[in-house]
Amino acid sequence: MTAARVRGWLLRAWVALAFAFLMLPVVVVALASLSRTSYLTVPPRGLTLHWFTQVLGDAEYVQAIGFSVLLALVATAGAVGAGVAASFALIRRRVPGGALVSALLNAPLVFPAVVVGVALLQFYAMVHLNGSFVGLALAHMVITAPYVVRAVTASLQGIDPELEHAARVLGASGPVAFFTVTLPLIRPGVAAGALFAFIVSFDNVPVSIFLLGAGQMTLPVKIFTAIEYGVDPSIAAISTMLIVLTGAGLAVAERWIGFHRFV
Amino acid sequence: MRSRSGGWLLAPALLLLLVAFVVPVGMMVPMSFRPYVPLVGITDGFTVRYYTKLLTDSYYLEIIGRTLALGFTVTLATLVIGYPVALFLARTPSRWRSWLTILVVFPLMLNLVVRTFGWIALLAQNGLVNQALRALGVVDAPVKLLFNFAGLLIAMTHIFLPFMVLVLIGAIQNIPRDVEDAARVLGASWAGTFCRVTLPLSAPGILSGSILVFVLTISALVTPRLLGGPTYQVMATLIYDEFLQRLNWPAGSAQALLLTLMVLALVYLSGRLARRTGARA
Amino acid sequence: MSGAAPALSVRRLRKAFGAVLAVDEVSLDAAPGEFLSLLGPSGCGKSTLLRMVAGLVEPDGGQVVLAGEDITRVAVHRRNLGLVFQSYALFPHMTVLDNVAFGLRRRGVGEAEVGARVGRMLELVRLGPLGARYPRELSGGQQQRVALARALVTEPRVLLLDEPLSNLDALLRDEMRVELKRLQERLGTTMIFVTHDQAEALILSDRVVVMEHGRVEQIGRPEEVYRRPATPFVARFLGRANFLTGTVAGSEADRTVVALDGGALSIVAGPRPGLVAGQAVHAVIRQESIRLESPGDGAGPAGPNRFAATVVFHAFAGQAHHYVVQLGDGRELAVAAPGAAAPLARGARTLAGWRPEDVTLLPGGEPGPGAPR
Repeated sequence: MTAARVRGWLLRAWVALAFAFLMLPVVVVALASLSRTSYLTVPPRGLTLHWFTQVLGDAEYVQAIGFSVLLALVATAGAVGAGVAASFALIRRRVPGGALVSALLNAPLVFPAVVVGVALLQFYAMVHLNGSFVGLALAHMVITAPYVVRAVTASLQGIDPELEHAARVLGASGPVAFFTVTLPLIRPGVAAGALFAFIVSFDNVPVSIFLLGAGQMTLPVKIFTAIEYGVDPSIAAISTMLIVLTGAGLAVAERWIGFHRFV
Repeated sequence: MRSRSGGWLLAPALLLLLVAFVVPVGMMVPMSFRPYVPLVGITDGFTVRYYTKLLTDSYYLEIIGRTLALGFTVTLATLVIGYPVALFLARTPSRWRSWLTILVVFPLMLNLVVRTFGWIALLAQNGLVNQALRALGVVDAPVKLLFNFAGLLIAMTHIFLPFMVLVLIGAIQNIPRDVEDAARVLGASWAGTFCRVTLPLSAPGILSGSILVFVLTISALVTPRLLGGPTYQVMATLIYDEFLQRLNWPAGSAQALLLTLMVLALVYLSGRLARRTGARA
Repeated sequence: MSGAAPALSVRRLRKAFGAVLAVDEVSLDAAPGEFLSLLGPSGCGKSTLLRMVAGLVEPDGGQVVLAGEDITRVAVHRRNLGLVFQSYALFPHMTVLDNVAFGLRRRGVGEAEVGARVGRMLELVRLGPLGARYPRELSGGQQQRVALARALVTEPRVLLLDEPLSNLDALLRDEMRVELKRLQERLGTTMIFVTHDQAEALILSDRVVVMEHGRVEQIGRPEEVYRRPATPFVARFLGRANFLTGTVAGSEADRTVVALDGGALSIVAGPRPGLVAGQAVHAVIRQESIRLESPGDGAGPAGPNRFAATVVFHAFAGQAHHYVVQLGDGRELAVAAPGAAAPLARGARTLAGWRPEDVTLLPGGEPGPGAPR
């Protein structure tokens, strides 16, 4: 059994190194945000929370955060509405050309985001939606809906269709059966899909960057342009806030709905 | 009795896709054939010059070649690094498994700009990597790791590794343990079992994980832009500049359509391949 | 079944899935308070028939009539039928109380009355103290009782049961059969019970509908379908039987003589008007109808249907001995003898005999669904 044990330890060592590789940039960003220096440096020289207060006092950052949250909420609401209905139709109803519809619904997952961005830039210019919040929100719904469809579809497949039949026979109309029986049972899938949608929308650069109008700015595009101008610890500070929020959100989602089952 | 067709339930999603995806992407086709005249703009007429330039001009061919080379190397690197991780996560009886999986998901959920920013801090002239290399005496002068292939390869391997690991975990979990035990009982060594049973049976996962990483790599904009700058171009950053800097939408459309074509061809071919291997298995 | 209007009628009901005819022009009636079983192998269309009655599957043609009212086009949730599913389909996110109360609440019954009726129903199925539990905290038998209570509490006009006992282990299944029968006798609810288990159908039912390939093969009381199967399929599906092919040699007032194929033997059956000499027939003899006697007991092979035989196989199965015996012309018969009897060893010489009235004659041709009735 010694050979097996050596293999076991080698595998663990490899896994540990891979996790270190995965976490390395995250740790570096968090450390850099604490440096007293005005330039980016790791390990930090001296410790300060100055960069955090600076970012939170910066009206541009605060507005970008607010705009990103609003956009992500609207996009998530739309994606969940359209995505849950579509998933239900695909799993529970006869859909002519169902495989094609399903492929089309999932297409934005592998479709180059930059192409979606420039295509919408052109299209919105033609239909005079350029720079509009509606256009931006529709774009975000398209790129987030597949995540909802994927999570909700997986959830629905685990629910016995007989439960809906039972509710129907017991006197529930179709919509009542859905809201009293099906929806409560697929809630983890809907929650996971919504969380995905929110994060994907909140993080998006390659679509947003082509569609933002005058006076509109999302947080990731703001950070993106800030980096192009030149890096400093305030970028590390806002990044660290995102790291902490994302980590906390994921931890809550895992405890609450077992998030890893939906990835 | 109510009709069991799901048409009206699909309507919102399909309408959304039509308005904000299918039609806009379709409109790029006519756009890519219209002549762009500097200082005048997009004019009426028909030209295939943007396609011929893309496929003959050495400047564009180099960018296309670089994009594909990045795709291949990043895919290979994520596969090599990720397979043992996936094997471990799929098979460990540890009660920490779901939390370790979440640790793989975490970078995926973390803002892409933030992750890329981390690599800027790591790979810069005076970044952590160069500091470490010099402290260890591996190099005397700082190694150039930004604005070149090496930097993009390292950072994008990091960024797409979680995708590969997650797809592989699913594939490996689908292999019944009995099959491996049967191979062992029949006298196969650990290596023999791995090479003849585990690896072939996880081939569908390797294929779909590789296609996913490849497609995402050749489509990536943010990381190549921030780590490669305006000079070290890939296809996505080329399209970005064409639309936002040079305002040559027809040329940009042709480039975007070529990228789309490459992605769709890959997805289609992998689907065919998966069906063939699936039918044989 | 005479006089009273049927509680449920199905008229020429038809359903195809693609090219497959799942239910082919089926008509039947269930009298008020009757326990009617739909019996057949899986895929025979019995579940589809039940689901069309419930409204979960839309028929391609025909009618479902409930107490004189045509409900073919009435939506599922307005039919006021009860349905017990094979998987029970208990709502996992609701307590037992909420599961049972679900139908009453959909009908807008006040909470006070809901509480009282649910309580009474849970007492009736002996689940009184378990109302606050969730389905996953119950045993299979308890879940089954919740499913019954949930279906019965709305006082449905007809209770439909789709293989409700098939997920229980053998012992529990016997218990639940008794309980179900008692419940039915107590409430007087008309029940349509789908099963592939012939013993279950025979024990529980007032009448049995035997189905195959989407068609009704025979409808009758349990003894009827068992003793006098109308088609070779029914004979094969219910119990264990020997099939002998032959031609009618003579049809008389008190008996019918059949010459078995091969020419060496002929057997005697009861009178069967309508059969004519020379007609090809199947003679069906149930395994337990054949008695084995040692040759010393009687006066040798005298009287009808007594043949010298050799035991070629024996196995003991508790309540019965299973034998295969070979007759003089080489043909083999399967025989089930009472388990209490002394066993015969392989190779033992014996006499195989059966009464003429235990022979069922079915008009010939290949045994199968196409056989005329």
